[in-house]
Amino acid sequence: MNWDWDKLNSRKPQGPWGPRPGNGPEGPDLDKLKDVLNKLKTPGARILLPLLAVVWMATGFYSIGPAEVGVVLRFGAFHRITDPGWHYHIPYPVEHVLKPEVMAFRRVEVGFLSMQGGRQTQQGQNRSRPEESLMLTGDENIVDVQFIVQYRIKDPTDFLFNVQSQDDTVKHVAEAAMREVVGYNLIDNVLTDKKEAIQLDTLKLMQGVLDRYQAGIYVEAVQLQDVHPPREVVDDFKDVASAREDKNRFVNEAQAYSNDILPRARGEAARIINDARGAQQGTIHRAEGEAARFSAVLEAYRKAPDITRERLQLEAMEHILANQDTDKLLLDAEVANRTTPYFQLAPPEALAGQPAAAPGTPGAPAGQPALRGAP
Amino acid sequence: MKKLFILGLTAFVLIVVASMSLYTVSQVQTAIILEFGKPIGEAKAPGLHFKLPWRNVIWFDKRILDYDAKAREVLTSDKKTLLVDNYAKWRITNPLLFYQTVRTPAGALQRLDDVIYSEMREALGRYTMTEAVSTRRAAIMLEVSERSSRLIAEYGIEVVDVRIKRTDLPDQNLKSIYNRMSAERKRQAKQYRSEGEEEAAKIRSEADRERTVILAQARREAEILLGQGDAEAVRIYAEAYGADPSFYAFARSLEAYTNGLKTRTRMVLVPGSGFFQHLP
Repeated sequence: MNWDWDKLNSRKPQGPWGPRPGNGPEGPDLDKLKDVLNKLKTPGARILLPLLAVVWMATGFYSIGPAEVGVVLRFGAFHRITDPGWHYHIPYPVEHVLKPEVMAFRRVEVGFLSMQGGRQTQQGQNRSRPEESLMLTGDENIVDVQFIVQYRIKDPTDFLFNVQSQDDTVKHVAEAAMREVVGYNLIDNVLTDKKEAIQLDTLKLMQGVLDRYQAGIYVEAVQLQDVHPPREVVDDFKDVASAREDKNRFVNEAQAYSNDILPRARGEAARIINDARGAQQGTIHRAEGEAARFSAVLEAYRKAPDITRERLQLEAMEHILANQDTDKLLLDAEVANRTTPYFQLAPPEALAGQPAAAPGTPGAPAGQPALRGAP
Repeated sequence: MKKLFILGLTAFVLIVVASMSLYTVSQVQTAIILEFGKPIGEAKAPGLHFKLPWRNVIWFDKRILDYDAKAREVLTSDKKTLLVDNYAKWRITNPLLFYQTVRTPAGALQRLDDVIYSEMREALGRYTMTEAVSTRRAAIMLEVSERSSRLIAEYGIEVVDVRIKRTDLPDQNLKSIYNRMSAERKRQAKQYRSEGEEEAAKIRSEADRERTVILAQARREAEILLGQGDAEAVRIYAEAYGADPSFYAFARSLEAYTNGLKTRTRMVLVPGSGFFQHLP
């Protein structure tokens, strides 16, 4: 129910506000009384007249619904407010009742039109109105803002009597306020984290302006519906978002790489150190073993040095000569002294560069028992 | 019957006279009384009033009225064109004066239009676009409201409020704004991606460095351990062999011969001495 004065007047040409300016005087009660006069001439008027009076008196009963208040006007002037329930007023043309719905929420949509005119709108069924929704931000960017304003009547008399076309007023005020607020914000704030603040600022600004008009309106909520960059640049904005994601992805991948190689490196390091520890122990143990062996042999040797020496030499020689791979050439000492020995070169499949051990030749393996006694 | 007729006639005349001399003013109106086109007396309060039958009543709306101007181009001080769409709230404060000067609301709107538009143009012409759109918007609105109200007072009108609804750019400027926005976003996207690369490279190289250090430290420690081992071994050997160096030399030489002559060797041996002393 919308108490728009102009509508009211068009519906009832002789409505609560009486004649329109410039129409001159006219008595709405004129015709009625003429009727009554004519009725007087007819028989039965004496019954009819009181009956009419009773009917007329009966029209003074009215009820106010739970969501309304009654505003009673006497001769067009505000007289009293009545609460929900049954009441009586002096019948027309003396008193007249208006019933604004003070509990009902009204809403104004800015920047879009919901396809159905009802209170319930679903997203996506709205038609955008770019001429209303495009706004300049403080950093000279353009943003597309669609929002709704919910309001209700704060003071029924102010609402009814102070401002003409209340709903249009709310819409104008909302548009101006939202643009003012968006005008001092940066585009990134409007699009992201300042939405709450923008809603609140707009609401406060609207309430202030409406109170200055004494419009009797309480702004319940300003809700941003859909805030997005203009169609022409929306892809670029989306790309920024995906670039931000890319950045995170790159960092995470690098982090993953780091998390992969460092434990491996630490493992490798542990392995190296353990290997070294092992080698160290090995070296020491071998040394200890060899030392022990030597000490043992030495002890035995000291008991009979000459014979042990002899024995060890013979064993070593035997061992050397027992090798199947070793060529052995026995020469008589005289022959060896007289001739420059000629040795056939080693067969091709043999290892080259084996020095021939000439008897008595310096550089021949010292201590070789065969050459030791050579004159 | 005749009496009744006279009664009826009297009633009729009374009613006509009453209807011509009674009038109501509603809560949202004021009214002034005209006698032959000349205003008389004060503006009337809401309620039922009486007047002489030959006088006329003119009603005026006393609510705050709406004036919604069309969007128009205004030049800012930095020579930019703005499409400004404003609305104004106004009220008839002096119906008598109003009736004498502009007569009807339509006439008033004409005046309002002229005054507010010129004030708006003048005010915006003193500020840059940024100031008009964001920083000084509220101040400009207040200024225009006050100045318009002063100028329009002579018509019995008060301007309650002038508010700028839209400050938009003409289409050709929109293009350039969109281009700038797009370029800005592209730059941002690039920056994010390369920042990501930078960060990633830092993390990777840091990891590589750390790995190198870890391994190098491990190797160092390994060498130290090996060295300690070798040193210990040397000490042990020296201690043991130092007991009889000549026997060590002898025994170790034998071992070396044995090992050294393991491979294919050609030996020229002279019997009758040393090892072969018992060979005739």
